[in-house]
Amino acid sequence: MLMHVIHMEHDVYKANDKVAEKNKKRLDKHQVFSVNVMGAIGSGKTTLIEEAIRQLKEKYKIAVIAGDVIAEMDSSRFRKLDVPTVPVNTGKECHLDAKLVEKALDEIDLNNTDLLLIENVGNLICPVDFKLGEHLRVVIVSVTEGDDIILKHPMIFKTADLAVINKVDIAHAVDVEAEKMRDDILSLNPKVPVILTSKHDWESLETWISFIELGIKEAQKK
Amino acid sequence: MHELSIACEIFEQVMATATEHGATEVKHVTLQMGRLSHTNPEQLSFCFKAIAEESIAKDADFIVEMVPPSLECECGYTGTIDEKQIRESCQFKSELLAYVAAMECPICGKEANITGGRELIIKSIEIETENQD
Repeated sequence: MLMHVIHMEHDVYKANDKVAEKNKKRLDKHQVFSVNVMGAIGSGKTTLIEEAIRQLKEKYKIAVIAGDVIAEMDSSRFRKLDVPTVPVNTGKECHLDAKLVEKALDEIDLNNTDLLLIENVGNLICPVDFKLGEHLRVVIVSVTEGDDIILKHPMIFKTADLAVINKVDIAHAVDVEAEKMRDDILSLNPKVPVILTSKHDWESLETWISFIELGIKEAQKK
Repeated sequence: MHELSIACEIFEQVMATATEHGATEVKHVTLQMGRLSHTNPEQLSFCFKAIAEESIAKDADFIVEMVPPSLECECGYTGTIDEKQIRESCQFKSELLAYVAAMECPICGKEANITGGRELIIKSIEIETENQD
């Protein structure tokens, strides 16, 4: 009997990162701008994605990947808006990973896509460690989650490219100050743009949508 | 909780390497886990043991070494966060928040970039073989 130590140095997250890089290259090749929309259950991810689709679908070709433990419900909402949608059932998994997105990309006509919206599984923890190949990492948080939610989940806000505080119209009713939430986000990530939105305030939705449109335009310049 | 799927990935990698080297038993599995990664070492170990039950890794010691976050600043500073300093100065009881709060460059005070501390690496395995070579 002999004992051996074998050095492996295999990084589990890097293995995912490599697939994510591959996804990104594939999207770049087709000039597709991709957005990873993260946030808790009930934060308004699906609604804000729907609003973006409604406003942008006449100008751009949009596809959606809807990830959830059971993804059919959200994807049927997107299909009603006449955009190609791929539901990704994660089963028991709490996040999308790059391999799941890679598979979903096979079902999308990338030559006919300008914008790919990826709705991640409702969760502020697990999606953080798994890049998908996205160009923009968005975290959506709603005032109903309480104004201590941000400091309780620092890494998702620290690594986001855009933070959205949603449902600000009912902040008073749930005894939350949206401004405190904004300050908390900026304390974790001073450079991140933070926007306050409400489904009932058209101007706030326009800000959200213009962020996405800016990305599409950038991608098309490349 | 995603420890189960990560444990599956670790198990597959460990078994592939062990088989490749003609192992009859896996004695140790050593991991390096960044303190900023959202993985729980105890849960991961529990999941690994459950998956490995019928395999040559069933009695393996599952060792997790924690890796402190490392920083890189535009002023040129690179280094790890001083863990002792965090414990002394931080008002937060939460470990993760304490680390995130301490991510200013110790030289110039600017917000530094995180360059390490989010990894999960299968560092090495110790195996037993019957070969005499």
